[in-house]
Amino acid sequence: MHVHDDPDIESAELAVRLAGGDREALAEMYRRWSPLVHTIALRALGTREDAEDVVQQVFVAAWRGRATLRPDRGSPAAWLVGITKHRVADVRTQRYRAHRNLQALASEVVTEPATTHDSDWAERLLLVHELERMGDPRATVLRMAFIEDRTHDDIARTLEMPLGTVKSHVRRGLLELRDRLKEVERVASD
Amino acid sequence: MSHPTDDELVDIALGEPVDGDRSAHVEQCAVCAASVEQLRRTARLASGSESYAGWQAPDDAVWARVTAQIDADDQPRAEVPDIETAGTAYAPGPGPADATVTPISAGARVTRRRAAAWGAALVAASLVVGLLAGRAIWSPDESGSVSQVALKTLDTRQREGEASVVRTGDGLDLTVVTDRPLDAGDGYLEVWLINADGKRMVSVGVLRPGETDTFPISQALIDQGYVVVDISKEQFDDKPAHSGDSLLRGRLPA
Repeated sequence: MHVHDDPDIESAELAVRLAGGDREALAEMYRRWSPLVHTIALRALGTREDAEDVVQQVFVAAWRGRATLRPDRGSPAAWLVGITKHRVADVRTQRYRAHRNLQALASEVVTEPATTHDSDWAERLLLVHELERMGDPRATVLRMAFIEDRTHDDIARTLEMPLGTVKSHVRRGLLELRDRLKEVERVASD
Repeated sequence: MSHPTDDELVDIALGEPVDGDRSAHVEQCAVCAASVEQLRRTARLASGSESYAGWQAPDDAVWARVTAQIDADDQPRAEVPDIETAGTAYAPGPGPADATVTPISAGARVTRRRAAAWGAALVAASLVVGLLAGRAIWSPDESGSVSQVALKTLDTRQREGEASVVRTGDGLDLTVVTDRPLDAGDGYLEVWLINADGKRMVSVGVLRPGETDTFPISQALIDQGYVVVDISKEQFDDKPAHSGDSLLRGRLPA
């Protein structure tokens, strides 16, 4: 029998193993979450070279900082995304400085680094990941409620589910996603 | 008045009907107002999350870079000379206190970023070898072993071989010995020297089936930090980069 049917329990175990210095746990985290980290970095930075550098830095930092992983917070993914935001910001700062140094030769005017709304990409992609990982029917209910913007009544009818159950999935699910974003914020603001 | 429950805060955030005094409380209470705003932001971010184009995995070689950099950190403790510890789980200290974190200046990092283009690094390193091979700083008649290191599996730190650098009349030889022939599966085995910075590596050559092989290297490579000996399993896929599938590894002592 497979004992790891609950992805949350499995993630928490990985966190504990990593904190204890188990390199195989880092390898497993890399297998699971390096596409998440890489996709975020690629979105934010635009080049594969920079994105792969960020991936390297994030997992090395995860190993070095494994004592700061809080297994009780549940999600190593959110922790990794928090570290990713840090690294992406570092690369951006370097680019800005390089850009500014070039500009300074020609002019005293220093422009702000190009910041677009994509500062939310890390959070958006983490939520995509969490929805993919989350079991059904909750994931389906959340997709219908937030992505398709359907009413709770409509969802209940479509899924042939009591309205109270729909509401309960929406509440639990949104609170869970909110907790993931809080974890990102905690790590990214360290 | 007590704070609304989490469930009630969700309902308020989503505009679902709630008791009037509950929503009145949120208007007065900064903590609850912040919670509601956080929940609204979560819902907003979730609603805009559909437009992503799919996950893109990093190149396999990135994992080899990660482990090489970590190996460089762990080096002082990883070099247990004695075979008795082989087979015990690798268990470093509990926290970052024992990890060496090397701050990198912004300038150096930019340079290293540029150096990270895999092919470019290989070409550059080959040039270095070509230019500097043979012009090493030792006198050519001095022969003998320069350094050696145990080669261990990456996960369990099982010692399964040894690499040694031997000074010969006209350069350095890297000799790789494994306790038993390594399984190359459908592919072949390749020997690399990975830089201690975890960013760059050079292919030293293909390890022929068997338990030992020798490759010419140069002092310049060692001087530049190419000190992590790595044996990888490669596929016949026309990709010159490291597959990311390392079988054994060891870092030559300084």
